[in-house]
Amino acid sequence: MSRFLSPRVDYTLREALSNLWRNRLMTIAAILTVAVSLSLVGSAMLVKQAVANATVQWDHGVNAIIWLDPSITPAVRESIHQQLLAMPEDIASCYYNGHKADYAEARIVLRSEPAAFQALTPATTPPSYRCRLRNAVDAYAVASHFAKQAGVKNVTYPGQAIKTMRRTTTVLQDVLLVVAIVLMLSAAVLILNTIRLAIFSRRHEVSVMKLVGATNWFIRIPFMLEGFLEGLAGAACAAGIVLWLQKVFDSVVAKPTASGQPSALWVSTGQLVTTEIVIVIVAVVLSSIGSGLAVRRFLST
Amino acid sequence: MIRFDRVTKIYNKGSSPALRDCSVEIDKGEFVFLVGPSGSGKTTFMRLLLREELPTSGRIWAAGRELGRLSNWRVPYLRRNLGCVFQDFRLLANKTAFENVAFVLEVIGRPRPVIESQVNQVLDLVGLGQKKHRFPSELSGGEQQRVAIARAFVNRPLVLLADEPTGNLDPETSIGIMKLLEKINKTGTTIVMATHDAGLVDMMRRRVVELDQGSIVRDQHRGVYG
Repeated sequence: MSRFLSPRVDYTLREALSNLWRNRLMTIAAILTVAVSLSLVGSAMLVKQAVANATVQWDHGVNAIIWLDPSITPAVRESIHQQLLAMPEDIASCYYNGHKADYAEARIVLRSEPAAFQALTPATTPPSYRCRLRNAVDAYAVASHFAKQAGVKNVTYPGQAIKTMRRTTTVLQDVLLVVAIVLMLSAAVLILNTIRLAIFSRRHEVSVMKLVGATNWFIRIPFMLEGFLEGLAGAACAAGIVLWLQKVFDSVVAKPTASGQPSALWVSTGQLVTTEIVIVIVAVVLSSIGSGLAVRRFLST
Repeated sequence: MIRFDRVTKIYNKGSSPALRDCSVEIDKGEFVFLVGPSGSGKTTFMRLLLREELPTSGRIWAAGRELGRLSNWRVPYLRRNLGCVFQDFRLLANKTAFENVAFVLEVIGRPRPVIESQVNQVLDLVGLGQKKHRFPSELSGGEQQRVAIARAFVNRPLVLLADEPTGNLDPETSIGIMKLLEKINKTGTTIVMATHDAGLVDMMRRRVVELDQGSIVRDQHRGVYG
């Protein structure tokens, strides 16, 4: 290796790898800390996303959806819009979801019915008005008013069970967000502390390096590389654990029920990949910067 | 080479000064013993030279630089011109004799072939060419101190500071270390050595600077311990 690398790069790699091996107990402790902490963070993120997916249609307090005919004319649509505006005592707010937005949403909602989704195109997907009612008990009255209007396909509003689920999942999402943030902070503190302990046990080494004229960056970089490698290894373990948990979740919780209806709780591959990327970035950034900061206190001249 | 100009060092406000209004000049190639009882200020003198501390008042020059004006990021570059040897050797336990000495050259980015040749040369000079692959724990106290001296000298510093280098060694080994330091001094390196060992000072008959309660009380050429 040394034949091909510059002396400094060669030194940094050699030093970081030999230190990881020499302090292998601390290395394993750091890797496990990263793995456990971030797999908890990743799991919390995935559960939050699964809950969000299950209630995507009813986000923003929407409690009635007026589905329009895909081929509705602008004039008819405008007339429905005016009627919605004319009911301020019943309807607090409304927004229009076009063909494309509803088609994108259908991709999530109809995940368990691929044939139904494939039958759709953006043009044949009905657009909709998403309304937030002043009082949820008025949903039936609003639905009855619009259901038979020209240009309206149908009106859906959540039943009591969905309303309860939505209320529960809103609270659950908030709780999971807080849990994920707290876990992330705990992970950061645990990772920093483990790295600090590892560096504290080598403070004598750092003082000798300083005495022979090593610059602060020369001392710091192998430590940061060690932190980076520990973070990467921990992140790989955490990513594996999260992937495994997701598979278990998929096979146990999200499998089709007796009625053939799949569970509403699921996460897409994209969301899983995003979560894994977040885990890796958080782990390597925290570990590298953490090491750099931890060694700093032993570097004051 | 080294100049202290009315240097006073007080560690904590209200406590008595560790160094009090000290002025001394040491020229290139000199061999100077710093003597005095414990707490007289010898270690503070060394720490100020290494720029581990800044003087409370007064000015210090070493290796052509005024240390008070030296910014923190330049301190490592100063230390590359000041080799130092300590009573407790301060070797890296996980590195062999060769690696301990090579480390100094790695710090300044010397290429591998240069490191190989310079380290072998200096280990031969201190008489440890045959034991270069041994770890500090596999060497005697005298041999560890020789490795420490080789590490301090491998970069051919302008000044070599030795703080009680024979403090942990028996008299015979101490004489060997003194002969080694004398050999290094003959190459033109200035040597400042703090010591309690009256026998060695009396044997060498070099310049003696005596400190007492932080003040320089004697500066004698070809001096003796007391």
